[in-house]
Amino acid sequence: MKHILSISAAALMLALPAVAEPGKWSDEPVRIVVTFPPGGTSDLIARVLAQYFESEYGQKAVVDNRPGAGGTVAADYVGEQAPDGTTLILGNNAPFTIAPTQFENLPYDPMGEFTHIAYLGASTPALFVQPDAGITTLDDYIARANGDGITYGSSGVGSITHILGKAVDIALGIEQIHVPYQGSAPAIQDFRAGVLEAYYDMVALNGDLITEGETQPIALAAPERSQAFPDIPTFRELGHDIVVENWTGLSGPAGMDPAMVETINDTVAEIMQLEAVVERLAQFGVEHTPMTAEQFTGFVEGTITTWEPLIKAAKVNG
Amino acid sequence: MEILAGFGNGLLVALQPENLLYCFVGVFLGTFIGVLPGIGSMAAISMILPLTFYLEPTSALVMIAGVYYGAEYGGSIASILMNIPGTPSSSITCIDGYPMARDGRAGIALFGSAIASFGGGIIGMIVMAMLAPALAELALNFGPTEYFAVILLGLVAASAVSNGNPIKGITMVVAGLMLGTVGVDITTGAERFTMGIPEMRDGVHLVIVAMGLFGVGELIVSIRANATGAFQNEIDYKKFYPSRAQWKAMFGPILRGSGIGSFFGALPGTGQTVASAVAYAVEKKVSPNRDGFGKGAIEGVAVPEAANNSATQTAFIPTLTLGVPGSASMALVIGALMMYGIVPGPRLLVEHSDLFWGLVASFLIGNVLLLILNIPLIGLWVRLLKIPYRYMYPTIIVLICIGVYSLNNNVFDVWLTLAFGWAGYLMRLFRFEAAPFLIGFVLGPMMEEQLRRAMLLSRGDATVFLTRPISGTLIAITVLLLVFAIGSALRQRRRARRATRTTSETEPLPTSNKG
Repeated sequence: MKHILSISAAALMLALPAVAEPGKWSDEPVRIVVTFPPGGTSDLIARVLAQYFESEYGQKAVVDNRPGAGGTVAADYVGEQAPDGTTLILGNNAPFTIAPTQFENLPYDPMGEFTHIAYLGASTPALFVQPDAGITTLDDYIARANGDGITYGSSGVGSITHILGKAVDIALGIEQIHVPYQGSAPAIQDFRAGVLEAYYDMVALNGDLITEGETQPIALAAPERSQAFPDIPTFRELGHDIVVENWTGLSGPAGMDPAMVETINDTVAEIMQLEAVVERLAQFGVEHTPMTAEQFTGFVEGTITTWEPLIKAAKVNG
Repeated sequence: MEILAGFGNGLLVALQPENLLYCFVGVFLGTFIGVLPGIGSMAAISMILPLTFYLEPTSALVMIAGVYYGAEYGGSIASILMNIPGTPSSSITCIDGYPMARDGRAGIALFGSAIASFGGGIIGMIVMAMLAPALAELALNFGPTEYFAVILLGLVAASAVSNGNPIKGITMVVAGLMLGTVGVDITTGAERFTMGIPEMRDGVHLVIVAMGLFGVGELIVSIRANATGAFQNEIDYKKFYPSRAQWKAMFGPILRGSGIGSFFGALPGTGQTVASAVAYAVEKKVSPNRDGFGKGAIEGVAVPEAANNSATQTAFIPTLTLGVPGSASMALVIGALMMYGIVPGPRLLVEHSDLFWGLVASFLIGNVLLLILNIPLIGLWVRLLKIPYRYMYPTIIVLICIGVYSLNNNVFDVWLTLAFGWAGYLMRLFRFEAAPFLIGFVLGPMMEEQLRRAMLLSRGDATVFLTRPISGTLIAITVLLLVFAIGSALRQRRRARRATRTTSETEPLPTSNKG
């Protein structure tokens, strides 16, 4: 039954004009699989997408949370579904960029088993230190790390903030002491209790702490300064080429119809430009850049190769 | 004075017809979800989350909170009647609640649980109203060293939970600790005992363990013992109002349980399950009826219920005032508030004081509603036990499977639960108790995480545990408790030896595990 449906859907697609229009792509409801439990940024982005798929284009969509094992459970599941556009994954660096290097027996191939459809955006992590520690510049930080040493909190072993910590170690030639947490909230709690000297976290989620003067941002791991926080310099302008971004995108199982991929890409692109959506994503510090499906596929592949040495370093030295 | 004015203002907000309605919807839904095994408040909150987009922020928060603490009320019902924890934290309630039900005292157990939950809820609310800023400050002073010390204290207290053979009790605590090590090591990222199964990387979920050991295990025992379908002792329907002596017996446990619960609720990352586990362990140490624990003591029902309900109220303190969610459900609350553009944090109390006080006042209203809702229903719940086994068992198994599946939407978890069910059955057969196992499993991983983090932060200097004031005090209390426990055990043995010398009667075997 499913087979017949997908064939007729493909036939329908062939009948359409060559240029895809944004709109509905399946008569059945689409499941957007999220790699985290409900409530996180990832989940909220998926819910925003699902809401606008339905309200703007009549495409029914539901969010399906399948957390576990750093997103690999969800990715493994989606990779095995029929490529009919009814199962998509809100992917990110964890299952697609980090897991291929981090885990030896990954049950899926991040490139071969997926159709990478649309890039949604990225949020940027920064280095934060105690405001009263006498550290205001990156040079101060390097001096402190080489002197008394420094402990920093991350949101977990192999997480994006741990990898950023490693990248900083390598680029600056210092050795920070890594203290892993389960997510950034407990790390920030310990930082505010004064037991941690520094931490890496998404800059947008620390807006309140920055304005209250409870934390001191040192440098941003983005290619350019953030619009919301123009005072924070980037590592790059301080002479260190460190760019580590927390990207999010929409992918499906391998072998999806190219016309359907284009429809979804165009639909997502339109939604991402709606003012209400831009505003809501800005709250989570997610900034969107348009990409075609081919560009996005190349982007995912690129992150796997550029991060590989950092992930390996993080894995060996903890 | 400021607090009273705030609370009065909050009461006006909470009593608005709209908020009153959503408060009722919340607690009603919560109770219902709580009764269903395995489907906890988190699943319920994520289900109603899309609905809240259409509400005022205060109404939405009041409703979400209602689901959250309503589920704790409901969670105890299945625990007492069927030994199936409706929520993870009510698995502690199984320990004494179920023996009471088997004794034909299900009504009293349910009534006691409702009263204890109410008491815990109200005390938790008062703590939140009076101490929110101060407790938030205290939670901030709790670093890894302090967490380790307080959990160590809990574990030492818990090692006394076992009723029967102390060697079996310690074996179970250690087995629980060992099961807790399964999964990716948080500090190094190394996989431990995962057997190459990706699903095992996050360890075994508490719900799976509790549902398997208590729920499925109990079903297997009952099926084997009761194939014909004759249920337990006759139930006296008129008798669900506790006697004066029982009221008196519950009073102290409710106060102590609420105190411990309020404290652990306010600490991010511990939550209701730790609260009820520690409260139970402490109560078992101090209660005059400590020998009755595990055999159907009303105190053993009151204490965890008071603790977990007060913890559900104070869990909002770090969530709202620090923006630090203590649990997955609280993370959902933060997510919901962010949707409204309200950022939980130190400024929330000032900028959204209506929201904060409206919520606090809604706790009072919600708890009263729950009491009104639950007392008349006791008769109905108890009547559930009259349903013949051939209908009851398949229904329960289906509900358990749905509940466990809804955790991660993963079938693997269902198989794992059934495996734990058989383990629970074997434990029952050989008279190993589940309570110390569960407590070791809950506290062990957290203790390890905090210990290793504290050592990383101190750069390998173990004296921090003694030199930091809060942690040093807690360690001292732990040592005193140990000395006291060993002393009383030695005294008891001496007394027992003397007793066997004078009379030839032998002690009867512990009877808590008849099944």
